[in-house]
Amino acid sequence: MLETTENPATLANDDPITSDPRQFSAKVNAWMPHEIMLTDAWFPLAHSFAVDKKPVRRAVYSQPFYLWRSPDGEVLAAENHPNDPLADTKSEYTDESGHYPVLEKYGYVWGWLGKPENAASEHVPSIPYLPEDGGLPLHMLGTVRFDCCAPLSLENLIDLTHADFIHADVVGDEKMDSEKVEVFHDSETITMVRTCVNKSVAPIMKMFGGVRDDVQQVRQVIRIYLRSHAAIAYGRFSPGDNVQLFHPCVPETRDRTRLDYAMNTSNVKKSNLFRYMMPKASYKVSRQDSSMTSPQSPRYMRPEKRKDLHSPLDEAGQKYRVLMTELAERQARGDFAYRDDVSADCSDIIGYEKA
Amino acid sequence: MTETVWWAVARSEEVSAEKPLSVDIGDQPIVLWRDTDGAVRALEDRCPHRRAPLSLGCILGNGAIQCGYHGWTYDGASGRLIDIPNLKSERKFPPVYKARSFGVHESAGFVRICLDAKAPLPADDGYTLPLSGTSTVALEHGQYIAALFDDPSLLISIKGVRFSPYLLSELCEQEGQLVMERSCQWASPHWPAPFTSDFPISLRIATDPVTGESDLTLRDDEFNLLLHATLAPVPGARRVTQVRWRAILSPERHGLAAKAMGVGTPLRVHDHIDGAALRVLKPSASIHADDLREKIAASVEQQDKVA
Ligand code: FES
Ligand SMILES: [Fe+2]
Repeated sequence: MLETTENPATLANDDPITSDPRQFSAKVNAWMPHEIMLTDAWFPLAHSFAVDKKPVRRAVYSQPFYLWRSPDGEVLAAENHPNDPLADTKSEYTDESGHYPVLEKYGYVWGWLGKPENAASEHVPSIPYLPEDGGLPLHMLGTVRFDCCAPLSLENLIDLTHADFIHADVVGDEKMDSEKVEVFHDSETITMVRTCVNKSVAPIMKMFGGVRDDVQQVRQVIRIYLRSHAAIAYGRFSPGDNVQLFHPCVPETRDRTRLDYAMNTSNVKKSNLFRYMMPKASYKVSRQDSSMTSPQSPRYMRPEKRKDLHSPLDEAGQKYRVLMTELAERQARGDFAYRDDVSADCSDIIGYEKA
Repeated sequence: MTETVWWAVARSEEVSAEKPLSVDIGDQPIVLWRDTDGAVRALEDRCPHRRAPLSLGCILGNGAIQCGYHGWTYDGASGRLIDIPNLKSERKFPPVYKARSFGVHESAGFVRICLDAKAPLPADDGYTLPLSGTSTVALEHGQYIAALFDDPSLLISIKGVRFSPYLLSELCEQEGQLVMERSCQWASPHWPAPFTSDFPISLRIATDPVTGESDLTLRDDEFNLLLHATLAPVPGARRVTQVRWRAILSPERHGLAAKAMGVGTPLRVHDHIDGAALRVLKPSASIHADDLREKIAASVEQQDKVA
């Protein structure tokens, strides 16, 4: 925790990543992902299709969200079940009637956890390849769960060297001529771009995508919206089809994560099996991730004297840790303002090529 | 958990060069495997990169262990990091880049681990008993050993043998071990134990005061060996006890019942314990165990001082 006596005005200009290398590494190594609870954020709580007249229950940090639709189709979010006669608890996150701010965009129901008066639609993350009014076919959508802390799931995602080992049978192994990792950030997002030269072709593209070559050029982007715990995973493969995945990690509790994914494969030819198989790969891939993140998670629950060891390939993960910690510290000081715009179109940042 | 104790965490046949094995001593997870020379290696089952269990990884052709998460690769003997495949460069890593390693000793079909990697190796102990097994029991280590002293029938079965409640010798100290001897009967119909003048068989138990590793010797009334077994209970995660055991049936056994021991499995070590029976088990032989342990520890200390 930073000194409360420090002047917030000077901190506002401080980039926690460039300021002081010693402080940076101290923050990296003090990583306590289960202690981080970020508020004043939109969380993608459910696919729009999953919310209907009958309330469904979701949670963010164990705080209940009941979601349902009014007769005219409008989504409501409340902290008590509408049939609960004894419900009179109202947290600071809901209005007098116990309702949270809620909206629909990109085919998701987004619930606001934070001060209701701060809820504003401009804080919904930009996801360039999802249609704003939703409507993707159901075979591109799905739910997977992790018994792991959400920030660990996202740290796992942003270090893609893991994919060469635990997802080798889906996306290809570590064999390639060279790889380059670049990392960009602001106070609300971190973006990692990994460029691989002559990488082993992803087996799933060989099997279902009609790729005949042995190697392919790969450019993978992971962009995390820190507060919303939501990531864009965008891959360009040549030869091969681009992969357009929205990968939220909602912290239902501090040690359980819900991932309502959307894998938009409408860029893939209708006659190509890859269009239908790739979204289903999430079921396999998520179990592979879980085999590591599940035993990992309890090992990050308590302060640990021994520092994690890092390699130059971990730049993105380390920066993610520092940015999350910084946001949490800022919120602990009572500063909930967005200093950067998360809803501005990020197509250029992620190198998204519209089909 | 004393750092310098050697725990029998595996049987030799459980440790291979194909698949890493995860074991634990108390709350300390350990990964075991064999390198190219067949030597057993033991590291903390926790990759120092992102804390994933190394036992989920694989053993490479050069005998090193590779973490399954991001591929960091460690030398088994020293625990040092030797490769990060994605870096695509031959490089030396600074010495802090290492996983914690432990002392390893393999003898008589048991793999023993000492948390202190620099501890002096124990003496080799004899030959490998041919029968063996592993059982995991939801009972705390100290309670397991106490039950072995008070009523072995809750923990083990010996083919055709009934343990009586009568002792030939209560628990005492002999050469640094806790030793007792119990009268036994054959399971065939016979005069009830309380009215029996002489018993046909006896079971001697000699137990290490710290590890609880126990030698069981079953003899007939002519002092012929029937069965010899070693039971190695090790405290595991969540207070369960893992018991590795090895045994041999004497090839020469006299009498029908003794001969019948060779049909099927002569020794079984239970995975499940009858909680209701355990709860009402009267503490008897075990009552003196702690005093004896203290006495043994004190005399060891005394010897160390003299030396
Ligand atoms: S956790 Fe073992 S290599 Fe990353
Ligand atoms: Fe993954």
